[in-house]
Amino acid sequence: MTIAICLDDDNGILFNGRRQSRDRVLINDLINSAAADQMIWIHPYSLPLFQEFADRVRVDEDYLHRAADTDICFVEREKLSGMQDRIDGWIVYRWNRRYPSDNKLTTELDGYRKTAERDFAGSSHERITREEYSR
Amino acid sequence: MKQWKSIAGILLIPILCFLLTGCDGLTAQPADTSAEGFSLRNIPAYSGKAYVELNNNIPYFEDSEYTTQSFESYGDLDALGRCTAAYACVGIDTMPTEKRGSIGAVKPTGWHTVKYDNVDGSYLYNRCHLIGYQLTAENDNRQNLITGTRYLNVEGMLPFENMVADYVKETRYHVLYRVTPIFQGDHLLADGVEMEAFSVEDSGEGICFHIYAYNVQPGIEIDYATGDSKITDEAAANTKRDYVLNTKNKKFHLPDCRMAEQISEKNKEVKKSTAKELREQGYQACGICISY
Repeated sequence: MTIAICLDDDNGILFNGRRQSRDRVLINDLINSAAADQMIWIHPYSLPLFQEFADRVRVDEDYLHRAADTDICFVEREKLSGMQDRIDGWIVYRWNRRYPSDNKLTTELDGYRKTAERDFAGSSHERITREEYSR
Repeated sequence: MKQWKSIAGILLIPILCFLLTGCDGLTAQPADTSAEGFSLRNIPAYSGKAYVELNNNIPYFEDSEYTTQSFESYGDLDALGRCTAAYACVGIDTMPTEKRGSIGAVKPTGWHTVKYDNVDGSYLYNRCHLIGYQLTAENDNRQNLITGTRYLNVEGMLPFENMVADYVKETRYHVLYRVTPIFQGDHLLADGVEMEAFSVEDSGEGICFHIYAYNVQPGIEIDYATGDSKITDEAAANTKRDYVLNTKNKKFHLPDCRMAEQISEKNKEVKKSTAKELREQGYQACGICISY
């Protein structure tokens, strides 16, 4: 499966159990870049971000284990250490901002190589960078 | 802009307590005001992290304070001319519509214009907005500017301001936001700032924090009574700068040392290096100009 995740300049993901930031254009980008038959899995916590795309996402507490190999999992709160065997690729969105963080991505991207990178303007972020990684 | 009520007791010991643990819940909890109260004595010494969490990251706002009406208020300066607290309900309508102007004319208490080679941007002190310009567009309001280290400004406060600013811009919701500088006794320089924030419309699901950010600068010793400062010996020894070497007697000097002026040109070399590296190369520090 492919993991989609948002990171700040310190590879931070969360602070105090909450996402560091959000952006409508980023969610649009993720939805629009997925193949038509590619399901996007999310945790119920992420549902408010995907309200406009309810027909494109599957919501499940155990989404990381229910997703098929070809699916995308949008991850905000779940730990990914120990899941490398199941992760074929990554879509990393970088906020290009510094936020506080107490949960960071550390070595999870080790062993993957960057295959694509592009910038776009978000709805509330000047520049968001999308990076893609594969084995 | 209306004046906020005077925050008596901020400089003594306001009624706050804190617990150095995380906050799992997403809903507001009533403030715990039953404990002994906030005191710098309860704050652990700075140990490499720019801030510590207070009261499980839950702010001390009262239920009656939550509003979806934007406002901002800045406490009166105290008798020593120090900032007290800045308080706002940040909304999209409080945010700036133009670039920030100059704030150089403001000299908050403890202010010194001083530069160090081991400080990012060189200047030790910044005029720190209690409530960042990106949130309430306050430019040179003396009741909103304290003397803060570069580290406090960039590592301690800015990430939290960014988080709130981007949340408000994206959701158009409101965030109750308060920043209180904490001074010890009659010190002119704050030891740190207490920052509280809570998103109103979603009951803190988006933004909820309560932290203390240290007004420190790694590698610099600060006298909080006056704002005076000096580089620590360890930092000085590890900071790259120009030294004048006497290649004959293997001594190194600061460029303005009178002993350096006496070195003959054939034995003199100016080199950008650290004292530590020079010692590793067999040089000895001049006993007159170098104490580290």
